Amino acid sequence: MRAGKIVLCLLLLVLATFVPVQAADIDRQGLVGIWCAGDDAERRDSFAAMLSQVESADEPTRQWVQSVLSAYREGDLFCTAETAFRPAGEAYENVLTGERVDALPADANAPFLNIPLRRALEPVSRAVTLVVSPEAAERLGAADGLSRSLGVVPPALIEELYATEPDARVRSALEQVLVGVWLASGDPADQQRAIAALAADPTRQNLTTLERFVDGAEGSLSPSVEAAADEALSKVKLTVQASDILTVLYHGLSYGSVLFLAALGLAVIFGLMGVINLAQAEFVMIGAYVTWFVQEALKVVAPDLLDAYIFIAIPFAFLGPALVGVLMEWGVVRHLYHRPLLTLLATWAVSLLLINIVRVSIGTQNLSFYTPEYLKSGFTVFSEFAITWTRLLSIFFAALALVGTLFVLYRTRFGLRVRATTQNRRMSGCVGVSTRRTDSMAFAFGSGLAGIAGLALSNIYNVNPTMGTSLIIDSFIVVVVGGVGSVLGTAVAALGIGELNAFIEPQYGAVASKVIVLLAVILFIQQKPNGLFPPKGRR
Amino acid sequence: MMTAFVHSISGEGPRDRAYLAVVMLLVLVVFAVPLLGLSPLASTPLGLDGYQVNLIGQVMAFALLALSLDLVWGYAGYLSLGHGLFFAIGGYLVGMHMIKLAYVGQSGVPTFLNYMGLSEFPFYWSGMEHFWVALLGALLLTALVSFVIGFLAFRSRVVGVYFAILSQAFVYVAMLIMSRNDTGFGGNNGITGFQSLFGVPLSAIESKVWLATASALVTLLTLILLRRLTRGPVGKLLVGVRDDEDRLRVLGYETLWLKIAVWCGSGLLAAIAGMLYVPQVQVASPQLLSPMLSIEIAVWVAIGGRGYLYGAIIGAILVNILKFWLTRFMPELWPFILSGAVLLVVVVLRNGLMDPGPTFRFLFESVRRQKVAGKGEGA
Repeated sequence: MRAGKIVLCLLLLVLATFVPVQAADIDRQGLVGIWCAGDDAERRDSFAAMLSQVESADEPTRQWVQSVLSAYREGDLFCTAETAFRPAGEAYENVLTGERVDALPADANAPFLNIPLRRALEPVSRAVTLVVSPEAAERLGAADGLSRSLGVVPPALIEELYATEPDARVRSALEQVLVGVWLASGDPADQQRAIAALAADPTRQNLTTLERFVDGAEGSLSPSVEAAADEALSKVKLTVQASDILTVLYHGLSYGSVLFLAALGLAVIFGLMGVINLAQAEFVMIGAYVTWFVQEALKVVAPDLLDAYIFIAIPFAFLGPALVGVLMEWGVVRHLYHRPLLTLLATWAVSLLLINIVRVSIGTQNLSFYTPEYLKSGFTVFSEFAITWTRLLSIFFAALALVGTLFVLYRTRFGLRVRATTQNRRMSGCVGVSTRRTDSMAFAFGSGLAGIAGLALSNIYNVNPTMGTSLIIDSFIVVVVGGVGSVLGTAVAALGIGELNAFIEPQYGAVASKVIVLLAVILFIQQKPNGLFPPKGRR
Repeated sequence: MMTAFVHSISGEGPRDRAYLAVVMLLVLVVFAVPLLGLSPLASTPLGLDGYQVNLIGQVMAFALLALSLDLVWGYAGYLSLGHGLFFAIGGYLVGMHMIKLAYVGQSGVPTFLNYMGLSEFPFYWSGMEHFWVALLGALLLTALVSFVIGFLAFRSRVVGVYFAILSQAFVYVAMLIMSRNDTGFGGNNGITGFQSLFGVPLSAIESKVWLATASALVTLLTLILLRRLTRGPVGKLLVGVRDDEDRLRVLGYETLWLKIAVWCGSGLLAAIAGMLYVPQVQVASPQLLSPMLSIEIAVWVAIGGRGYLYGAIIGAILVNILKFWLTRFMPELWPFILSGAVLLVVVVLRNGLMDPGPTFRFLFESVRRQKVAGKGEGA
């Protein structure tokens, strides 16, 4: 406080000696003085006062207010005893005189904004942007932000801006800002406008606004408003519910596709050799790490191609784990045919080994993946139902893997051999199929599929050495439900379990969904011990 | 799979000797731990300090756990990767007993219940201050859980790898449940802060000695009991289930109830092992339920050799002593050694240390040729 007063006195002194560069209706120097050294209440009052003046100010003043305000908000306004500086390119600009200096004076420091002040400042700076900015996109962003909190911004100002706003999207965004004001005004025409605006954008937030309005104004509404509100309410509610269901379905689809990717290789190997590969989840992990290596390599070798790294990594993410798979089949699994339980332990040992090799050589921290611009966001289909590109990508990879596997199994010589060996190993051997080589190649193929799963997961999951441990049990359950060695069964089971999970999880939590899924699967096995699509023929 | 086990029931000659050696080892532990761990001899160079006694006790509890798994895996042929579930039931109940005992006669509850917003013990803690209630509770709960799992699994003929992973799924889900704070068992940190058992403070050397002795004694008695059981008609039936269950069924045996009985018995043994283990480590946490521990039990049995009972004990002792030693001095190295040992034993040896198979026959050849000429080579 005292320091603030001293500074104010100093400012007054300075005021007497300096001549303002430009006569304006906003007291620039006083504003900067308060912003730099005023106490919280003074600063807050100055925001409101500044806002009321800025509208009628001339263009240069408006620009000045906006630039200084944004610097202030970002912590880039460096105060000295007399004035303040803001960054301008490499140099700094004295905000009062416009002079440029190369380095800040020694006593310059940015005033600290505590959280209540920030909250007060936020709507004000948005309002200033709305008033000043010539860019429709900037105004749109500001209007969107304002709908969360109007703060000290007077609704009359927004109404005025709304009336003069040329851009339709900004207008509708401003409508959302004004909805609360209109609803509370008690004027039927305004209320009608508000209800129409709410109905035009059926989000959950608007649903609660409408509900609160209808509940709160019981009986005090004019009949026409009440009818409109009821109609809008039922329409919005229906839309929100539909979008909720679609969202859950979409999440289930995306989780199911992840499960499918992880389980597909497992199903092929299990169907062919009766071997459960507990290291399958680690192949997923290796796939994700290979993707990361490709990304890092591209950063060095060809930064231009970085945006496409996900697609460039596909062959590597397939071949890397496939190679490890071949080695594992050759070194471990082939010695253990007809001893599936010991294979289980051996593959567990391999998974432990792989996890620890990665842990020691690369570390346990989560890998950071570069998300290309085209994957960053998504789009809102309607209401609350939004599609994110990363999830869509995993669904795309799952579909790709499904089609690819079906093609390989049913349209190639290799697939024919795999199917023959799966059906009757000895007979296939008799007619000249090299079952050894088929096993080896199928193991590589299954491992490669897991690698693709890792690639698809890299932008959704945390990628670290132990990322696979939670995946293996889920994917085995998918294989059990789907039926051994059935690609379509695996797909159906993965989707079913994914959807089941997605429906339970939001309501009861992740643990409950795991418990319920497990219980459901156990009951399912009671009825269909061989899964949805049991293998045909005698064994 | 069949031929690898031929020795297990013929069990003559060197096998009997190995069995007797393991029995003698356990008897030795039963007598040596109180002798060397308590006051007159404890301070001599021969004596054991608290850490060593505790280590022996933990290893003995693990040996009992391995024994329980060998009964279902080595004899009935069903690999359970979820025996930690029963181990944890015993462990948690004895933990509850010790906590409740510490709060007898005073108001208030442990912090993990306070955290839940409870000011007194929930109903399922009632009577827990009596040891026999906890014991009975642990056995009944284990019997119930193992019966439900066994009935569901065996009735629908879940076998082999399916059964293994299914049991793993159970223990995994149980771990997820117990890791939650709102389950009321201390969440991730588990139940801890025990003070005494049977009136002896857990920090005293006496309690360590008696717990270790009790663990060794129970393991010894269980070994003798299971040996008798498996060499009798039940053992023959179990091996029948393992080697050709369909044939056994065609011959007219109802294998369902036999399997359920053995499965439940094995679960009960694992629960007792848990009751012996938790007072020694002084914490009952979801770590007991981690899939890793459950798989490690199978690893001990696989390394020791399935279907011999004492093989499981040897495996548990060897692996755990190695683990204690390595995790103390070279914790980074342990996972590599463990996975390497498993791969070596599983891929190269036929049945762990009990039957190294043709590649390593020569190691045992000379010994065997001297002792029993020409016998036991049929495999």
